[in-house]
Order: sequence, then structure tokens, then C-alpha cells
Amino acid sequence: MPSLDELIDAFIELDEERVLSLVEKLVVEVPPPDILEACRKATVVIGERFEKGEYFLSELVYAGEIFRRIMDIVLPRLREEVKPVATIVLGTVEGDIHDIGKNIFKAFAEAAGFKVIDLGVDTSPERFVEAVRNYNPEIVGMSGLLTIAIESMRRVVEALKQAGLRDRVKIIIGGGRVDEYARRYTGADEWADNAMVGVRKCKQMLGLEG
Amino acid sequence: MSRSRSPEELVKERMERIEKAIDLKEPDRVPLFIFTCGDVLRKYAKGYELYFNYDKTCEASIRFASEFPVDSLGVVTAAEGFVFSLAFADYPDIAPSIRFWSGPMHDALLDRYTRWPGRELPEDSILQFIGGQFMNVEEYGRLSDDPISFINEVILPRSCLNLEKPGSAKANASLIRLGVEASRFLKFLGDLAVGLAKVGIPSLPLTFAYAPLDFIGDFLRYPTGALLDVRRYPDRVKQACEALVNPIIKIGLSLKPAGAKYAFIPLHLNEYLSPKLYSEFYWPTLRKIIEMLYDQGIKSLVFFEGWHDIHLETILDLPRGWGVAYFEKTDVRKAKKILEGHTCIMGGIPPSMLLQETPDKIKEYVRSLLEEMKPGGGFILAPGVADIPKETPSENIKALIEAVEEYGRY
Repeated sequence: MPSLDELIDAFIELDEERVLSLVEKLVVEVPPPDILEACRKATVVIGERFEKGEYFLSELVYAGEIFRRIMDIVLPRLREEVKPVATIVLGTVEGDIHDIGKNIFKAFAEAAGFKVIDLGVDTSPERFVEAVRNYNPEIVGMSGLLTIAIESMRRVVEALKQAGLRDRVKIIIGGGRVDEYARRYTGADEWADNAMVGVRKCKQMLGLEG
Repeated sequence: MSRSRSPEELVKERMERIEKAIDLKEPDRVPLFIFTCGDVLRKYAKGYELYFNYDKTCEASIRFASEFPVDSLGVVTAAEGFVFSLAFADYPDIAPSIRFWSGPMHDALLDRYTRWPGRELPEDSILQFIGGQFMNVEEYGRLSDDPISFINEVILPRSCLNLEKPGSAKANASLIRLGVEASRFLKFLGDLAVGLAKVGIPSLPLTFAYAPLDFIGDFLRYPTGALLDVRRYPDRVKQACEALVNPIIKIGLSLKPAGAKYAFIPLHLNEYLSPKLYSEFYWPTLRKIIEMLYDQGIKSLVFFEGWHDIHLETILDLPRGWGVAYFEKTDVRKAKKILEGHTCIMGGIPPSMLLQETPDKIKEYVRSLLEEMKPGGGFILAPGVADIPKETPSENIKALIEAVEEYGRY
């Protein structure tokens, strides 16, 4: 029987075949939440390597894919939902239909223990407001690749204010062309131009460990 | 000062300014280049009109150029269409005319790569390139054996609804429609260059090339698919990249007889890759393309999307004066430290700053940037190809132009 530490190491090193064969063996005896916890630990280290400049976006894409394949094996065996650390309502904003960045962020947020409500792409301000009402998330995450997205992000923040919901959530914007200027323009609380920093900032906004 | 000059004189003066910078010299002042895919032009026309009505696009571009006189304005109200160029790489009369994919061309073939205002998107939106996965990993061999046939026979029927049945009446009619649109688009490009020249703005004589791994990511395997292939099937990917070099060179040279001097090469996966993967899978074939074009008298204008910081040193592999490194998020100051005297650097302006800051702050930003970037020449000030947003206050764009006039003189 392999150990969870072996799984963590193999995941950190992005050894896809080894990870999958370990999970296949582990899942027979180890409770699924323990496997997910091991994944969480591994992705923390992957995030650190990314921020230190040892890993790059291609490694994040690969790690996200490995995590997806782990989940394919583990999820069907999960009898009850693991209590999430917090909920994120996530979507690519109106006028933008790109989703690569959003999906990488989603994979790492889920690996970190967040529950992610994914609204998809081209999400109107009204749908963000409705989702905040329905799911009562701690965080709203808005993604966008195009500069046109910055205006849409501003309109979502505005709509949340109008609906009296702005103070109930933390708002983070993300995407390749998002920066501090864009954060100020939109009125969001935080910004990130990559998924790992995005997940770290989500934890920080909620006072969870970095 | 410039008010007394005729449009012809202004075109000449501005073109010289840009060419001197590209030749790593000090012009009379730092040139300012603005590139737009249409967002900022929505100040004058709806998104739908910009992409489907060439006259409106011309009119909007000329209005922008009159209101904001920059040293050159690049207008690309069309999507990535390099896959179509590559399909016709053996036909230099056709390949370059469909390199940029316009709204009516999308109507002709109903491709799945792009989404358009007034079609799949709301009318006052901007066009979006989405790409897709149109090739299986098992097909790398066919791609490598004969890229042009593979694109024509396998990829286009999968990626274009109207070409689903090659040889059918519908497919043939669609190709004729594409040809008609291509010649209308070429006329539009000509009209646009003439129109801009009438208000004193030169257009760069461009041709086009592409990084082979980006070609695989954008048109065949989707960017994330290409990145996973690099891990899982490294040899197949390398072989395919090699096979794409020659057709891409053919496209790059196709406009040389018409006077093209610069090959525009927008990069996408560069910032995704570690130095190891970049130097193994991305750079060797891109480098070969840039060098082969350079040997034929064509310099390259490479847009290094996103952060290119970790790969900056590799640019030194190219011959001195090879062309222009156009940066998006890479700090141009840092780039200058490495590339000064070797490569013309372009960039420096975050579009989000133009959207959010005040005119005074923008001027101060440009002053401080130019203090470092101006000495020695070889620098062109520009926002990235990511567009200046429509909502950007006009006085902010004016502040940018005034600042370069004020602080950019040599």
C-alpha cells in the first residue's frame, strides 16, 4: 500500500502516470477526503514553486489536468460532500468568452478546498447578482482576457452595490490584462494575473493561511 | 509645429522616425505607435459595424487618427486567420489576403475559431478568437508529413461548417464567397492606408508569420492541449513544429514583391513555457523563421504577449537589428538592459493605465519612462496589442500624445 506522502511527491513533481497509479491503489483503502487533503498539500507546494519562478503556466496547466484526472477517480467514491473552506462564485464576465484562465483558477481553488460555483463565460452582472443571492458566497471571482472585460467587471461591482450585496462579499478580478489600475477602476478588492496568486489572495482575503 | 506640414510630409517624417528607431538609431523623437483591434474605435462606430462594414471601419479609423495623431496606427479589425493562410501557403496571391480573418469571411465559411458581434455575440461587442481542438494526438504524423494537405483535407472540413463536405456545391460556393471577401478586404486595407496617409499617418508595410507551436495551439490542439502534448508526446510536437517552418516562411515572403518590409508575428504560448520548454519546443523553430526572413530582407515585428521576462536573453540569439520586440507586460526598462544596441524595443504603456489614470499622472509616467528609454534610440512607445478600451477618456489618450511630444524629443 503506497503512502499519501508518495502521492504528494509525485503530484508536486507532475509525474502524471505515477500519480494516477498511486491514486488507483490508494482509493481502495484510504478515505477520499484524505486523498483530497493530500492534493491540497501538493498544490500548495506547486503554487509556491510557481511564485518562486520554478514552475510556469505550462506546469499549472499540467497540474490542473492531473488534478482533474485524480478527481475523476476519487469523486465517484466520495459519499458525502467535504465541507468547503468557503464558496466562490466564479465567471468570465459579459462580452468575454475566454475560459482558459478561469478554468485553471477553478481547478486550483477546488484543490485548495473551495467550493466553486462556475457561471461559465459571458456572464451578465444580473447573473452574478442572482448567484450571490442564491449561494451566499464569501468571494466573487471575475475573469476576463480582453480589455473589454474590465468595463464589464466594473458593472458587476456596481450591480452588487445596487443590490446591497457588495459588503457581503470579497471581490477578486483575474486575467492576463488585469492589474492594479484595473482593480481601482472596477472597485474590486483584489486582482491577480495568474491562478496561483488568485487562490492565495482568496485565502488571504478570508484570513486563511496564505 | 506639425500643423504647418502637409500630410505627405507628415507621413514621411513619421515613417522615418519609426524606421530610425527600428534601425537602432535616435530619431528626432521617440515614435508613438497605437494598435487597435477595434475596442477604442467603438467610440465612433458599433462593434458590429467595425467588423462587417469596411467603409465604417475606414471612417472610424481615420476619425481616430485625426483626433489622436500618432506616428502610426495599426488597425486590425479582424481575427487570427493564419490557418487559412497556411492552407494556401503555396499560392502567394491568395495566402496573405486571408491571414486576417474578417467578419464577412467568417460568414462565408462559418468557421468555429472565431465569434463575432451581431452573429454569435451582441452587436456592440468586439470580435473574439476562441480556437478549438480540431486534431487528435494520433494525427501529428499526418500533420508533420504534409502540413498543407493535412490542413486542407482534414482540418478545414472540421473547423468550418460550410466546408464540412469538401467538393460539395456548398463548400465550393463558400470558397468562392471567401475569394470575393478576400479581395474586398484587400481593397479595404488599401483604402485604409490611403485614408490614414491623407491625415498624415503612415502604415507599416507588413507581412506575416507565426510561431509553429502557437499554430498548433491556436488552430489544431487548443492552447492547453498543445501544452499537455508537449509533456505527453514531446517528439511528435517537435517534429510537427519543424514541418510548419517552410509553409510559414512561404507566407512571410508572399508579400515581399509588394514591398512588405516587416513580418508581424504575434506570440501566445511564450509566457506559458518554462525556459527549458521554451528553448526546446518554441524558440528553435520561431528563431529559424525570424532568421530566414531576415536573410531575405524582411525584419520581424514580434509581439511578445504577456510576461516574456524569463526568455529575454534568448532574443540575443538573433542577429543584431533583426527587428522589433514588442512587449506587453514585460518591463521595457528591464528589456533595454539586456537588448540595448541589439533589438528595437516597443511597448511601455499599460492600456488599463490609460483607462484609469488622470492626464497628469499619465504624463508623469511617460516622462519617467522616457527618461530611461530614450537615450540611445531604438525605442518605440506603444500600448500592447491588447486594446485601449472604448471607455478610456479622450483626454488621457491626448495626454499620452502630448507627453511623447514633450518628453520624447532627442
